[in-house]
Amino acid sequence: MFKALAQVALRRLLDAVPTVFLLSIVVFVVLRALPADPLALLLPPNATQADAAAMKVAMGLDHAVPVQFVFWLRDAFNGDLGTSISFREPVTTLIANALPATLELSIAGLALALLISVPGGLWFFAVRGQRKEVVADLAIVSMLSIPTFLWGLLLMLTFGVAFGLLPFAGRVDSDAILPSGTGLLLVDYLIRLDWRNWLSALSHLALPATALALGFSPMVIRVLRSSLIEASSEAYVMAARQRGLSETRVLIAHMLRNAALPAITLIGAQLGFLFGGTLLIESIFSFPGIGNLMVQAVRNHDLPLIQGIVLVFCITTLLINTLVDILYVVLNPKLRKSS
Amino acid sequence: MIAVAGRSIGTKIRDFIGAIQNSPRVLVGALIVLCMIVCAVFAPWIAPNDPSIQDLANTLLPPMWSSVGSRQFPFGTDALGRCVLSQVIYGTRIALQVGFLAATGAAVIGTTLALAAGYCGGKVDRAIGYLVDLWMSLPPVVLSLTLMVGLGTGVGNVILSIVLVDWTRFCRVVRSEVLVVRRKDFVSAARLLGFGHLRIVLREILPSVAPLIITLFTLQVGIGVIVEAILSFVGMSVPADTPAWGMMIADGRSDIHAAPWVALLPILAMFMTVLGLNLLGEGLRVALDPRLRNRDAR
Repeated sequence: MFKALAQVALRRLLDAVPTVFLLSIVVFVVLRALPADPLALLLPPNATQADAAAMKVAMGLDHAVPVQFVFWLRDAFNGDLGTSISFREPVTTLIANALPATLELSIAGLALALLISVPGGLWFFAVRGQRKEVVADLAIVSMLSIPTFLWGLLLMLTFGVAFGLLPFAGRVDSDAILPSGTGLLLVDYLIRLDWRNWLSALSHLALPATALALGFSPMVIRVLRSSLIEASSEAYVMAARQRGLSETRVLIAHMLRNAALPAITLIGAQLGFLFGGTLLIESIFSFPGIGNLMVQAVRNHDLPLIQGIVLVFCITTLLINTLVDILYVVLNPKLRKSS
Repeated sequence: MIAVAGRSIGTKIRDFIGAIQNSPRVLVGALIVLCMIVCAVFAPWIAPNDPSIQDLANTLLPPMWSSVGSRQFPFGTDALGRCVLSQVIYGTRIALQVGFLAATGAAVIGTTLALAAGYCGGKVDRAIGYLVDLWMSLPPVVLSLTLMVGLGTGVGNVILSIVLVDWTRFCRVVRSEVLVVRRKDFVSAARLLGFGHLRIVLREILPSVAPLIITLFTLQVGIGVIVEAILSFVGMSVPADTPAWGMMIADGRSDIHAAPWVALLPILAMFMTVLGLNLLGEGLRVALDPRLRNRDAR
């Protein structure tokens, strides 16, 4: 089994290398087509032509685009993604500081989404053919019509502004000291047994993670329902019923396990959607992750930062795909045996 | 041959109309979408005020049913004293324009590539498949934001960036359908009759995948509306003087404590539009698919 896993992982990762490379080229060329001059933002208003030319040389923008790309690639291999124009800090530092926040948010969002959608999918499946199905159906279509960022705003309006129950800006209370460590605040504060800040971090995570989960779960509920419908016509379901198992037992112990497999592949293919959702959610909740950083970089035409963040998004998406493939092998008994 | 095809198309259309009449989803969805289209086309007649006029004496005015509200501004005013309702009504123009044009572009590019990939197979299929995978290794929002940086703001560029990102949705789904249709008997028959490749693709395969394309198109219009709102929320879409829902939501967000109605109305408008399109798309998917129609039609 481990051999099969290693093979899958290696194949996916090898496939990913040219993808990352090609996508970097596409993004590099697209960003150089920029009609606005990024230099204009950097120079003081009284800068002379000579200042502009010197800045151009300093940033390497005087070379042809392919040459610029080769330089960027060489530096990227050495772990240097250039310097952000607007923050005047190395892009790698900015990303390294922001990435854990996004990961923590995405993981929390995914966990919540599964908590909502597994029971939701089971219920949606259980009411099929009943009058309730019409209601369930309408609820799902309505949920699908609310994009993640609107969930964010609606949650902020209700729980943040109207009821004042939960905080809706930042990752933790502004007076809290950020711990060093994994960068995942819930983990770091837990290690230190710093409960006050742990709760603060948790309450700051609640609204953005719920928004992500609500945007993602209707898709999962649907996939799960159709997988369950597929599974319901299988012979083993009939066999389990004939053995006198209760309907709930058949549903949870037999069907859900088998329906999980196709569901995971489809959910995995959509994880990029969840991850992309962090972009606006972080911006709305002033959550200091790479999504928020990306929105700022885009507003400031900060080319090196945009390029770096896109690279991180691309690599993360490909890593998620690899993980989903591995999970698929782990869970699929057919693939396990063949190794 | 032609007579048979003609009769089957006639039956299809009759079945289709019958299925639509029995589908509340299609009817409700179509009604909502129609309302939005009417709003967009007749905005100057429907809107109570000019959406760009700033009444600085009446900023952040609450809706008219509140005690301090004014009848002149049924849903109140924003921070610059502009009529919220009029802005939302005019906002349907940008939303629908972007939604429909972007969906058309994405459908044309995606379907063309899908037909090429599915029908030719082999190297062409692998090349197009790789391009789709490449595109999908980035979250769509990240890709469209990056494209907007390169293209610059403006309605045309918003449409272009959505087309360039979302053609993959059509390509992936239509291609797998083409692979199924290609093996059907009527395609072999057409080939045996000596029809050219182009004719087979356009006259035999395309009509068979058309229902799928119509469904995807409807859903894509909704996606386009959302993406435009996201881009204008970030300030990367239309110029600031053009009323757009995303921008209104972003503006309303800064006054969310004092004047929640500024953000709520565009949120509601956007939700209704996307809901209408989703209902229509989902309904059409069932109505246009004979297999689903008999099982699922209610």
